[in-house]
Amino acid sequence: MSNDFEFTQPIDICEALKCLNETGRITPIAGGTNILVNMKRAPIETDLIIDLTRLEKLKNISEENGMFRIGAGVSFADLLNWHPGGAVEGLVRPMCAAFAGPLIRNLATIGGNICDASAAADASPVLLALDANVELVSTTNGSRTLPLSEFFKGVRKTAREDNELLTYVTFGKPAEGERCFYYKLGKRKADAISIVSIAILAKLNEGKIEKVHIALGAVAPIAMRALQTEAMLIGKVLNTSSIQEAATLVVKEACPIDDFRATAKYRLNMIEVLVKKGLNEILSKA
Amino acid sequence: MKKQIELTVNNSPESIEVAPRTRLLDAIRIKLGLTGTKEGCGTGDCGSCTVLLDGKPVNSCMILAMQAEKREITTIEGLGSPTELHPIQQAMIRSGGIQCGFCTPGMVLSLKALIDRDPHPDEESIRVAISSNLCRCTGYSKIIDAAKFLSSSETTSMATSSEDWSVGARMTRNDGVEKVTGRAIYAEDIQLPHIIYGALLRSPYAHAEILSIDTTEAEQITGVKAIVTGRDVDMGFYGYELRDHRIFALEKVRYIGEPIAAVGATTVDIAREAASKIKVEYAELPAVFDSEEAITSNAPLVHNDANAYEIDWDTERKGNLCYKLIIEEGNIEQGFGESDLIIEGSYKTPEAHPGSIEPHCSTAKVEPDGRVTIWTTTQKPFVFRSYLAQALQRSINSFRIVPTQIGGGFGGKLFPSVEPYVVLLAEQSGLPVQMTLTREEEMSCTLLRHPSSVKIKTGVMKDGTLVAHQVRMLFNTGAYGLYGPNTAALASMMATGPYRIPNVEITGLVTYSNNVPCGSVRGPGAVQLAFALETHLDKIARSLEIDTLDFRLKNAWETGDITCTGQTLDSVSIKECLQKAADALEWKKPRLPGVGKGLACNWWASGPWGTQTQIQTNEDGTFRLITGCVDMGTGGLNSSILQLAAEGLGVPIDSIQLVRGDTDSLPWDHGHGGSRMTFTIGRSAYEAAEHLQKQLLQEAAEHLEAAIEDMVLEDGSVFVRGDKANAVLISTLCYNRHKKHGGPMVGVSSLLEDFPTTTKKHPIGAFPGASYCAHAVELKVDEETGEIDILRYAAAHDVGKAINPTGCEGQIEGGVAMGLGLAMMEELREIEGKVMNPNFADYLLLTAEDMPPTESILVEQPATEGPFGVKGVGEPPIAPPTGAVANALGDAIDINVKRLPLTPEEVSSLIREQKS
Repeated sequence: MSNDFEFTQPIDICEALKCLNETGRITPIAGGTNILVNMKRAPIETDLIIDLTRLEKLKNISEENGMFRIGAGVSFADLLNWHPGGAVEGLVRPMCAAFAGPLIRNLATIGGNICDASAAADASPVLLALDANVELVSTTNGSRTLPLSEFFKGVRKTAREDNELLTYVTFGKPAEGERCFYYKLGKRKADAISIVSIAILAKLNEGKIEKVHIALGAVAPIAMRALQTEAMLIGKVLNTSSIQEAATLVVKEACPIDDFRATAKYRLNMIEVLVKKGLNEILSKA
Repeated sequence: MKKQIELTVNNSPESIEVAPRTRLLDAIRIKLGLTGTKEGCGTGDCGSCTVLLDGKPVNSCMILAMQAEKREITTIEGLGSPTELHPIQQAMIRSGGIQCGFCTPGMVLSLKALIDRDPHPDEESIRVAISSNLCRCTGYSKIIDAAKFLSSSETTSMATSSEDWSVGARMTRNDGVEKVTGRAIYAEDIQLPHIIYGALLRSPYAHAEILSIDTTEAEQITGVKAIVTGRDVDMGFYGYELRDHRIFALEKVRYIGEPIAAVGATTVDIAREAASKIKVEYAELPAVFDSEEAITSNAPLVHNDANAYEIDWDTERKGNLCYKLIIEEGNIEQGFGESDLIIEGSYKTPEAHPGSIEPHCSTAKVEPDGRVTIWTTTQKPFVFRSYLAQALQRSINSFRIVPTQIGGGFGGKLFPSVEPYVVLLAEQSGLPVQMTLTREEEMSCTLLRHPSSVKIKTGVMKDGTLVAHQVRMLFNTGAYGLYGPNTAALASMMATGPYRIPNVEITGLVTYSNNVPCGSVRGPGAVQLAFALETHLDKIARSLEIDTLDFRLKNAWETGDITCTGQTLDSVSIKECLQKAADALEWKKPRLPGVGKGLACNWWASGPWGTQTQIQTNEDGTFRLITGCVDMGTGGLNSSILQLAAEGLGVPIDSIQLVRGDTDSLPWDHGHGGSRMTFTIGRSAYEAAEHLQKQLLQEAAEHLEAAIEDMVLEDGSVFVRGDKANAVLISTLCYNRHKKHGGPMVGVSSLLEDFPTTTKKHPIGAFPGASYCAHAVELKVDEETGEIDILRYAAAHDVGKAINPTGCEGQIEGGVAMGLGLAMMEELREIEGKVMNPNFADYLLLTAEDMPPTESILVEQPATEGPFGVKGVGEPPIAPPTGAVANALGDAIDINVKRLPLTPEEVSSLIREQKS
């Protein structure tokens, strides 16, 4: 059969990196919840599958010097049971609860969700709002760290070199008093693919916006930050008029498509609605 | 490269050889033969393949077997045995949480994982825990009850015990144990030595001439055992009342996905690859997809001469018009003239899929005598046999159909799908052949619910009295008619709803197009018309500023009213249903902002088609109940039919065995569908039981040398009234009879198709065992995003007599779930004939988290025909939810709904439209 491939299961990172240097078409697999869907629909174009599920080291979450470090192999079910408190928990837990369903959450990993680089990936907006970085390792380039916003390159395209392994997602612990908002709009309550999702992290100082991150999913080829809107808001008093201004501006930053789940028009309407909803909620928590 | 892997399955070490691409699911089902784990989609969207991996529930279709090396797997077979059920399995049986049983193993494992980590989960946690496990039958309520039952003393709607089997008792189903332990055999679980697998080559074009078919390259692939095209077969046309369909496209293809050739090979992958290597030359033709466009005179013709096809009914056919009917009553123009107000509206419903979690699958084997045995998942084994005979131009006796357990039907398993192909491939190869549709094929190439476009013009008086009602219904049947005429005929009877309207004109049109063909899905015609009519009624009520409950009550039928087809109604309960549903939601209580309540009604028939039931004695005093009907999952056959037989005989239910057989051994029956199980098979079983009881009493009278009139049957014996001390055991009577005559006593009841009389000419005309229902819903709408949150739901159904109330509620809750899905998310979308969402990721079924708390209210106004006055309840509950939701939205935010489904985007755009 034309679609025969080999399978290997490295037990540590070092071995995994060696496998990634093999010649031919290589497909790393973690939770498998995207790759096996593709395999079911059409024969997969690969020579070697590298199973990353035995890299125990990458299944840990740690906190050091105000930085959170999440192993790429951490599942969404594990993340859902993680209680870091504050804005991190306020963003991560509702996202995990809205991520697929409990069965898939037991398999799918944070690293896999990022590397699949779907515009509608649930983890991306939350991690972008948290200003996350990703750590990549390879035998040729050693280790490098880059912002998640630079990792996403296009529709299902990332900055990961073929022989690189995504090992960790890291982000700083938000300061005390930072507020957050997360919303996923889908067609049903459980196990829905997002029509639009939004994550906001903000800090107010005497009513003025000192920091604001607005991240959006499913409204552009890649998950994105609404940088112009953020810049416009900085230094302003968060009130009805600045919120309206943000909602109007954010629509200009997105470029959604029509697909089966929604039209581009509705998506644009919804980011306007959700930015307003989110900033209002942040204001009300003040 | 293949590799030997070690893993622990159900606590026992296993070593199996697997290929890199073998999924854990395949390893479990094929290598280990543990077929309790099911495949419903293969893409992680349905949960029927759930297993525990190191204690955590996961989709086994999303894991490569090699990834599971050295890990611990628990499948349903590892949970409890029939003699020692796990508490969750017991609770599932007792709660009525099992219907077709296909999702049950996965559901049970997800619940087990939940209970293991949280022995006392709250309702929300239960809903979340099973939200990945789709169930198409139950509406989840009774599954949630099962989990609640485990963690509390709550016993609502629980079957008290299997000993209480009298009519009206909550009885556990007869096949619960085999289903909850994963032992029940479904079509894909059939495995035979030397079996090969089939795949189809399907048309990539919506409309094209077939110029040539070349199978040479495909034939040369190693492992290919048989290839069949339409040119190799003497094909006949088949269908229900209209016979316009053949199993392969011959001169031209009429829809994307139409079968052109079938291949049998040693593996599914080889069969698919070979199918893709068959070279077909096409010449594309202009195509038509929209129903209004299709009936215009210059539209491309889907069938060159629609009139050439046999049809049992009088009709007008021309161009793409497949069927037309008109019903007139009173004088429509005069009616409009007399009306104070005329309200018009247009309503559309999309294509929808039956959505059984089990895909179509069949296995065929040529027997030594040349006949073909077909194991298949079918609602109608006997009707299938005749469809096959028509399609392949053979005698009915050429086939023996062995029905397997059915993993959900809903009308989707009424017509042959893969059966003809496995027959042909088995004959050509000489080997047994199995073919299973992929979820993608299932969603894009099997028969759908007809999309509809309904225009209504209604004249009404200021006080709300309905005066005149003109309805034009257009159904797009796709490339073939199959059940199109019947859908329109049924819909025409729903067009007035259960309301009195003196002046009526109803036009039903069915058009061909180059879309995927439609069939008969649960409540055909009713779903489309109940949505249109009930939504329209609220539009009228809002214009008149009359309460929608009062408006309905004012016009609702009463016993003695006559329908627009001339049926005099004899057991009408719609007002009681309406009042009870409305009361359950405190109808007149003021609403909070953004909250609305809605009502919708429906009426429907209980299927009367013919059947024969036999009950035979065994020599030890036990009994065999023999019917050719199958149970598609509802449980009718496995609970209420047995209850009725036991009641009629006066013996304990566990002394009656439901015989499993095939079309060779069982008496003819029309099949499971049309809400007929308890109404028709039940009546037949009860009559057969009474017939047999008479023979038992006669035997006893002879034995005791007394008159038959003085015989009393009680506690397993018969005695002369007043002389229980000298009773004779039923077992003795049976033994004597078998010894004396060398054969059993046999109670028989044959029922013929039986429709009430009507005064008008109409292909259906009357509804036997007419049933009535009303639903009420309360919902909250987010006016910015358009999201709907269903807060609570009440459904009042006149079931005539609830033989098994748990079963009735199961039908209602499952129907509500399916109906709410149609209201809010179900839509199969075709663009130029191509299905855009052929999977459960984008064709969304309701999950446990979406299902609202639902109160099922059983109204019992006996029918004149059924046993104990039973009325069918299988299909009715699916029709009202769409209208109820639309009306609750109208109540909440004053919008007029026009089409389904009411997705957040649709609701949002209605709100924006209304604001501008």
